[in-house]
Amino acid sequence: MLHAKVVDVSKEKIDLAKAQKFIASSKCGASIYFVGTVRDQNDNKKVTGITYDSHDALVIKSFEEIYKEAETKFKFTNIAVFIEHIKGHAALGDASIIIAVACKHRAQAYEFSRYIIEEIKKRTPIWKKEHYEGEDSKWLKGNPLVDQNQLK
Amino acid sequence: MKIILELYGASREFSEKDYLKFNLKEKSSINDLRNEIFSFIDKNFKGNNNFKKLVKSSKFCSEENNIVADNYKITKDQKIGIIPPIGGG
Repeated sequence: MLHAKVVDVSKEKIDLAKAQKFIASSKCGASIYFVGTVRDQNDNKKVTGITYDSHDALVIKSFEEIYKEAETKFKFTNIAVFIEHIKGHAALGDASIIIAVACKHRAQAYEFSRYIIEEIKKRTPIWKKEHYEGEDSKWLKGNPLVDQNQLK
Repeated sequence: MKIILELYGASREFSEKDYLKFNLKEKSSINDLRNEIFSFIDKNFKGNNNFKKLVKSSKFCSEENNIVADNYKITKDQKIGIIPPIGGG
């Protein structure tokens, strides 16, 4: 069971309570919440915030692909996964992504959650523009998108 | 063919709008589109090398939301997204 969404922070907020509600199940004995937040330093520069850009349709597609691949890879049953990533401006400490995973056992939940965030980093089309003290800002270099079809 | 190139990430520096417009010959490929973008950078940004590197390292996304190869033939007017190197999370 998957919930996947890009949250435009100019219209609504990303909300951990929604994740909690979505993955709640008496069939699961372990829940993991991964929350990515905006930190105040990068490359020895003082960060004041980040603007996230997103190709929404491709982001949702990649979340769904990653979830299906994880299901095939791990073969766990009774899994619930909630993934939301923001787009728009985030201040220091604000959440940029929530990945909530519920599984039968804790080892499964850790494994599934870790797989999802690592794959998102590799292939989900989201971009960051960091803002620094002094009103300077810069798009981060990032990694070229890995085309999964070319890997097959 | 009329192509609307949707800009994402660092490629947004190419325009104040969210897109660029290009006119391509029939049966042009993504590679041809890439060359048109290089010409645009030459004309509007004095051949800015960082912008050209960005385009070289970018993928492209069709209107059907598929990442397409450089030899992909564009057969109709459509929106195409430029997908620069990514880094979310």
